[in-house]
Amino acid sequence: MRDRTFAPSRMLIYLVVSLVAAAWLVPLIVVVLNSLRSNEEIAQTSMIGWPQHWAFGNYLTAWSDFCVAQTCAGIRPYMLNSALVTIPATIFSTLLGAVAGYAVSLWRFRGDQWIYGIVTLGIFLPQQMRLLPWTFVLRDTGLMNTLTGLVLIHTIQGLSFTVLFCRNYYVAIPQELIRAARIDGAGFFRIFWRIILPLSPPILIVTVIWQFTHIWNEFLYGVTFTTGQQQPVTAALIALSAAVADIPHHGVQSAAVMIAALPTLLIYLIGGKYFVRGLTAGAVK
Amino acid sequence: MPITTTRRRLLAGSAAALALPEFARAQGAVKPRLTVISQWSAGSDGAAITALGKKFEEKGGIWQHSPVPGFTTEMMNKLRAQIIAGDPPACSQLKGPEIAAWSKIAPTVNLDTLVVSAGYEKVVAPDLAKLHRPGGKWISLPLQIYSTNMLYLSKRAMDKAKAEKIPVTWADFNELAEKMKASGIIYPIANGGTRPDDGQKFEASLAGISPAAYRAAIMNLDKKALEGPEVKAAFAQVRRIANWMDPNMGAQPYATNLKRFVDGDMGMMIMGGWAQGVLRNAGFKFDDYIIAPGPSDNGKPVFLLNADAFIFWQRSEPDLQAGQTLMAQLVMDPAIQTMYSQITGSIPVRTDVDLSGDGWSDGQRRTAAALKDAVANNQAVLSLAHNMAQENGLTAAMIDVLTEYVKNKTIKPEQAVTRLAEAVEGAR
Amino acid sequence: MTVAAAPRTGRPTKAGVVRRLPEYLTIWVPLLLSAAHLVSFSLWTIWISFTPSTLVPVAGWVGLRNYTAVIASRNWQIAFDNLLLFGSAFVLLSLVTGLMLAILLDQRVRGENLLRSIFLYPLAVSFVVTGTVWSWLLNPGIGIQKLVHDLGWTSFRFDWLIDRDMAIWTIVIAAIWQSSGFAMALFLAGLRSVDADLVRAAQIDGAGPIRMYRRVILPTLWPITITVIVIQLQFAISTFDLVRALTNGGPGLATQLPALVVYDLMFQRGLLGRGAAAAVLMLLILLAVLLPYAAWRYLQRRRATHA
Repeated sequence: MRDRTFAPSRMLIYLVVSLVAAAWLVPLIVVVLNSLRSNEEIAQTSMIGWPQHWAFGNYLTAWSDFCVAQTCAGIRPYMLNSALVTIPATIFSTLLGAVAGYAVSLWRFRGDQWIYGIVTLGIFLPQQMRLLPWTFVLRDTGLMNTLTGLVLIHTIQGLSFTVLFCRNYYVAIPQELIRAARIDGAGFFRIFWRIILPLSPPILIVTVIWQFTHIWNEFLYGVTFTTGQQQPVTAALIALSAAVADIPHHGVQSAAVMIAALPTLLIYLIGGKYFVRGLTAGAVK
Repeated sequence: MPITTTRRRLLAGSAAALALPEFARAQGAVKPRLTVISQWSAGSDGAAITALGKKFEEKGGIWQHSPVPGFTTEMMNKLRAQIIAGDPPACSQLKGPEIAAWSKIAPTVNLDTLVVSAGYEKVVAPDLAKLHRPGGKWISLPLQIYSTNMLYLSKRAMDKAKAEKIPVTWADFNELAEKMKASGIIYPIANGGTRPDDGQKFEASLAGISPAAYRAAIMNLDKKALEGPEVKAAFAQVRRIANWMDPNMGAQPYATNLKRFVDGDMGMMIMGGWAQGVLRNAGFKFDDYIIAPGPSDNGKPVFLLNADAFIFWQRSEPDLQAGQTLMAQLVMDPAIQTMYSQITGSIPVRTDVDLSGDGWSDGQRRTAAALKDAVANNQAVLSLAHNMAQENGLTAAMIDVLTEYVKNKTIKPEQAVTRLAEAVEGAR
Repeated sequence: MTVAAAPRTGRPTKAGVVRRLPEYLTIWVPLLLSAAHLVSFSLWTIWISFTPSTLVPVAGWVGLRNYTAVIASRNWQIAFDNLLLFGSAFVLLSLVTGLMLAILLDQRVRGENLLRSIFLYPLAVSFVVTGTVWSWLLNPGIGIQKLVHDLGWTSFRFDWLIDRDMAIWTIVIAAIWQSSGFAMALFLAGLRSVDADLVRAAQIDGAGPIRMYRRVILPTLWPITITVIVIQLQFAISTFDLVRALTNGGPGLATQLPALVVYDLMFQRGLLGRGAAAAVLMLLILLAVLLPYAAWRYLQRRRATHA
């Protein structure tokens, strides 16, 4: 329908899109190229450049060899830590957000608009204002230096976004569906399980993608609330950054960054189509 | 609701922080253990502290080091979180006046007996020792020393400029830079554009012009000295240095320029002793450059001190206390200091260590000699750019002024002097 | 869109409450935890901003001294100006970029999935590393300017990164690269939900492509646009790792932003009280933007129910 109308300028469209996409890819290309150059080569030539010798070994070093102080196991153990925090926190915050969003949008109860407003305003609360208070909370619950503590933090903080996304998706569901089900005798959870959940995959995927990305790439809490062995992958990446008294390890760091970005990139690639379909239903109004 | 840390036996500003019981001498029964937090996760620093850990284990201890990647802020965040949680590490990295500040928020260990029995006090530079005895008692131990105002000269650049003389005073330095420029080296100075870089340029200038003025103005915050002619002259010198640098530096670290420096496209670098290790690790040869002490107008070497240290936090567990004793003894041990400094390229804190052996470079020997000399002449001062002279808050406020001055050529030295004095007043 | 009269539960009986306990718990516990942590953390920060806290929180009262100290500092003044400039430019430009990309992708181009992923990938990679890469690309001696010089055009200048007046725009560039993909995704979804009948009717009326977009499609996008603005605003306020890696507030203090100032004061300088004051000021700026919007929405809803 539309493409026939715009047929004459399709060449132009493809050209523009390709140019912009190419520009978008430039930083990624720099990182990928650097991941195949040795640290010394980068230090001796330039930060940006084509590999003179192909340093495929960077990936091996990044995966299993480089040392963070006394632990010389590469990025592997830290990837596991990140997974142990990100996967549970994503699942909990998404599910709880879905239930809460469903409740706020389809079941009226006292104060629902107020609490919804407060919870979603939370997306604006800056990280720095949360670091010390969370320290007190972790201390008093005995969860300091545990991965469980991190899961707790990310779940509660994630609720602000997950409730936001889910609630604005569920408001589009017609009330008649709920009323009919109630007349048939179904209760809160039954309706959620049988009616709401089957309609939810689009928004659930969106929420999962958003949460996974942000929790996986998080650094501040990951480093402050864990000890050496529990640190997330972001900490290991920072260990490879430039320090005053050290040469920058840009080669191995680029390889490590590519490895660390794989899970999120994969989720974006696979979930990409769901992403758009989910937001179709109106993530935020 | 958890409000302040006073609820957790942490003392705020109380002298009781230092009135602590002596160590249990009967160590034989307990296996020493040590929990350590530092920012040294990679590079030569990471290697050095790992080696120290191995020595600790060789002596029968359990070493539990938790490195916090990133810069010092991240390490301090972790330390703060642990202290608030009532679980400080037995030992952590800390340095400069921050030691005094942090000692007020949690109880520390009184190390006097150990220090006396090791005779450590006699072999540590007095200005440095003062930092580690904030309440009159030793609570932390310095481990390695760097000089921050060393002069690096590119051999190829010197050849290009047909220069032979190594600059001694700032006048010599300026002359050499002009000579290099005249011979085709567009950017004689190879420094970086980060905040510590800008701070280093200023402190090297001021300390070189007059260490006494530096001590008065920067370390003691004397108002008259801050507004004095030496500070103005220092700013003028910084302007000269900035004009000899590549304007495209931005916020890049000095490591970006190493290749051009070695190739002779850039001539000189004012940098700390750690640059030797960096140059070596980047694949450049020691023969490519010359190291000399930073310019000093009165002919005698001026040493701008940067020293790392370990602070010991009070713990009640006997195995941790035994670990602290063992660690303190190791840190003061000349053999350990030798090992540590040979790995990182620093010089030992102890002035009585013999550096004639194989593992030392000429640069390190010269630096150690310069330190001894400077201490004798009272020209060893504390680095501002590396948080040795003042607490972090005041240091950052001063460096705000310095970095703006370096990057904004329209600010005149007189204006910078006023701004610096205002910054000091405002942050007091 | 308002929620029609939802099922009311009537006066809760004791048996009714017990029976419905699981749902009360499942709804209220997470919501209350979330709201409680937000409210208490905010109140705590406000309280700290009035104390003489430095390295750790301590009790005490210093009145407005922390606030006056922050407002008087060059750091904050520059950061405030930058936020207004950067914030509005960034939100506007990323909005336009996202919309343009969405419209382009909406033209049934082949490989849309791949293209979408290309525009979305920046959010998936560590911000510290991408900030560092942009600092190289925008550096005149290492990146784009050098490349163009090497290709022959030696009078080309692109040295915004080291120019005190233009450096903030480099942050705008990097930020747009990072977050326009998400704006694009939102707009694309909105475009996909435009009523096909309306489009066909307009086509029958003889509307050309541009007219079509202006009259039919873009107006339907208004709610989504609000969404994009909110999310991008949140990004602008909280952007931290990217700026730290790209310019670290430099050259000098030229690219300071409130998020950096808060972190710097609180954790680097060990001045918790001042940092908290700066954080509260940051929230006040945010409220100044959000309150008018909330009021406008409230009035809209009032008008809708009265109509």
